[in-house]
Amino acid sequence: MGRYVIRRLLQALPLLLAISAVSFTILKVTPGGPLAAYEGNPNFTDDDRVRLEHAFGLDQPIPIQYIAWLGQFLTGDWGYSFSAHQPVLVLISERLPNTIYLMGTVFVTVLLLAIPIGVLAAVKQYSWFDHVVTGTTFAFLSTPTFWLGLLLIIVFGLQLRLFPLGGIQTAGKPFDVWDRLHHLVLPVATIALVQLGSHVRYLRASMLETIGQDYMRTARAKGLAERVVVLRHGLKNAAIPLVTVVALDVPELFVGALVTEQIFGWPGMGRLFWDAATRSDYPVIMGILTVSSTLIVLANLFADVVYGYLDPRIRYS
Amino acid sequence: MRRLSIALGAIGLVIAGCGQPAPVGGTSPAPSASVAATPTRGGTAIIAIWQEPSTLAPHYANQTVTDIVNYGVIEGLAETTDAGEYVPKLVKSIPTVANGGVTVTADKMDVKWELLPGLKWSDGKPVTSADIKFSWETWMKDPKVNSRTGYDQIASIDLPNETTALVHYKSIYAPYPLNFGGLMPKALLENEADISKTDYVRRPLGTGPFKVAEFKAGDSITLEKNTNYRFGPAKPYLDRVIFKSVPSVEVAMAQLKAGEVSAVWNLTAPQAVDLEKVTGVVLQTVPGPSVERIEMNTAQNKENTDPNSTHPVLGDIEMRKALLLATPKKQIIDKLFFGKAKVGTSPVSQGWAAYKEPQASYDAKKASDTLDAAGWVKGPDGIRSKNGVRASLSYTTTTGDSNRERVQQVLVDEWKAVGVEVKIQNQPSSVLLSGSCTAKDPRKLGTFDLVQYASSPGIDPHTTVFTRYHSKNIPTAANCVGQNYTRVKNADMDKAIEDAGSTLDVAQRKASYAKALKILNDQNVIIWLYDRADIDARQNTLQGWEPNAWQRFTWNIESWFIKK
Repeated sequence: MGRYVIRRLLQALPLLLAISAVSFTILKVTPGGPLAAYEGNPNFTDDDRVRLEHAFGLDQPIPIQYIAWLGQFLTGDWGYSFSAHQPVLVLISERLPNTIYLMGTVFVTVLLLAIPIGVLAAVKQYSWFDHVVTGTTFAFLSTPTFWLGLLLIIVFGLQLRLFPLGGIQTAGKPFDVWDRLHHLVLPVATIALVQLGSHVRYLRASMLETIGQDYMRTARAKGLAERVVVLRHGLKNAAIPLVTVVALDVPELFVGALVTEQIFGWPGMGRLFWDAATRSDYPVIMGILTVSSTLIVLANLFADVVYGYLDPRIRYS
Repeated sequence: MRRLSIALGAIGLVIAGCGQPAPVGGTSPAPSASVAATPTRGGTAIIAIWQEPSTLAPHYANQTVTDIVNYGVIEGLAETTDAGEYVPKLVKSIPTVANGGVTVTADKMDVKWELLPGLKWSDGKPVTSADIKFSWETWMKDPKVNSRTGYDQIASIDLPNETTALVHYKSIYAPYPLNFGGLMPKALLENEADISKTDYVRRPLGTGPFKVAEFKAGDSITLEKNTNYRFGPAKPYLDRVIFKSVPSVEVAMAQLKAGEVSAVWNLTAPQAVDLEKVTGVVLQTVPGPSVERIEMNTAQNKENTDPNSTHPVLGDIEMRKALLLATPKKQIIDKLFFGKAKVGTSPVSQGWAAYKEPQASYDAKKASDTLDAAGWVKGPDGIRSKNGVRASLSYTTTTGDSNRERVQQVLVDEWKAVGVEVKIQNQPSSVLLSGSCTAKDPRKLGTFDLVQYASSPGIDPHTTVFTRYHSKNIPTAANCVGQNYTRVKNADMDKAIEDAGSTLDVAQRKASYAKALKILNDQNVIIWLYDRADIDARQNTLQGWEPNAWQRFTWNIESWFIKK
């Protein structure tokens, strides 16, 4: 197993390198640049433009810019944001806790809801409960988050005035747990409702498959209580495919929810990425892209390893 | 040569401006409520912003929203009034030739600034003339500063004493009063190798009425009363100002209606109309110098276009005239902007050199007749052509700007009605407004037919008029400088622009600019759509606002107060 993990990690290196090279090139050949922001300043001259292009290294050929960026990145210097004049690592470190806070809550909420709903829907297949679950999960699964988020804001924020319209806390208020939770409800609901759909459906399908297995009948024949049969024998096996799905959610804890953070004005990674993209702030975009692609590769590996551990029939060599 | 001439002219302006009220200025009725009420002390104002300032350092900042926050924190030596006059801020008076503060010798000049006595930074350390020199040095040394305009004309600075700075210019630079628009603290920063790596970029130390208490990226910026403020303890009235980051202008408006925020900046006309109906909300409309325009490419639409080539359609002045005639500016303003803008007339809409001669007004019939007479014949599909060239044009503006998109819809229909086909080809602002050949700005490369955007002149219009309309400033493949995007060339106009820059006499300068701008308009290369106005909204309880065409609405934030 150890050798397998090492080989996979080594394979990941050229892949990540290729991802970074391709994304860097795409960013650079796309028209537009970070200096558009200066257009509004009547004092901004062409001399200033040339000086800034040089200061930001934009006047170099793309391969040279890439090698310079990569060299810095590998030595731990992720560069400076062109617009914020802050190290990329600092920008990420101040947004990351907010995103983990948001996405972590989503992650836990989804798991806590998906497992009982999925199991129940499978156990009571074709019952009214199953039909309701199947119907609503399908509906939410096919709902775009930007629409759902705006709908929730209009109904619960603007009309019913139950929840704030956005932000992570009330401006000017000292830290207050209730205030924080109050601001958390709508964005979490937006992402969780959509994600819940896919997780419930995965679990239901996998549970249904398990229920028909011989060992379930054996367990019942042994005289075990139905609850024990379903949870200990059924769920334990049915949850294995879910591990893959959940492991692939982990990178989202870092990347955040681009659309939802934008709609709710959440000071997280998604909005950082969005702002950086609209400002052509290459160092920030590259920092986030590289970390997220690394996390996705690692999460895949993690899922494979855990899978092997949970299901002894699967062996890697 | 060019700088000398700009400079000479503006000195004349300053001298003239000091004795008498400025001839032209942004005028807007001040909200009457703010005049009547007596200021009360204390309280917090929350201002919604939906674009986050990425930095507050005055020498790096490039966003309008940064100014909005910084008016509370950072001050310069002088500022501009609504009427376009320079007034002292941290100094005793504006140095001029008349008061002996400016000495002109041949083609150089010296400017003597005298700081007010007893000034302190918000950390309590004294402000000295060394800070003036340090600010200049920083602007010239740091490679990442936003613009060196003006600072690059300074040869050296002498400091005869703690409060006096003698600035030696290499040339005669007229807009010198606005040179030190953001003073930087020497004591805090002099030992920093790279200011961009310090805390200063987010918590700049200034002399303004407030200081930055907290900068929460993506969330809020909190300013607290500066106890060392020079008008303290009388001002500021407010204890705190919070700039709250909101996801969008719609949310900002909803929060204003709900009373969660006290003020919202930079609204569009339709949004203002929506807020006008809300009780307790007051709107302030200030005409700004920014003019929305459509520029026509007179050279061929291709990459690195030859400025001497001729655009197959727009090269014909009759075609350009017809497009102008078929542009219903008034209707656009009335219907799309609810009358909350003025018909554009020229690039210089405000200030002493404002040129207000209207362009030909809307007349679709005349537009058709003009094209008929010029030999543009309508084909079976209603689109005209001449000598096998179809009157088909592309029309570019920034993507995702609903106001501009609505204008485009109107014009596409209007122009089609007179037989000109227009295809919309919008581009993101990071491309269209990049002003950079490497970033593929179509205006720089010449890859456009019609382009719509806005631009504002500085208080002294020379830079704008010279870089945008002089034939020397046509960007080419070899030399991608200049902003003469229409590629208009006219020897008389060039001469008038040069004349305007080579005299001290304000009346003469004004006449020369008027002549140049008249020729520009006679060439029909630009349709001046409308003069943009700054529309801000606030709770009626937040008072003390005053309009200023040349600054942003927080410019007098020290005088804001909350009516109990």
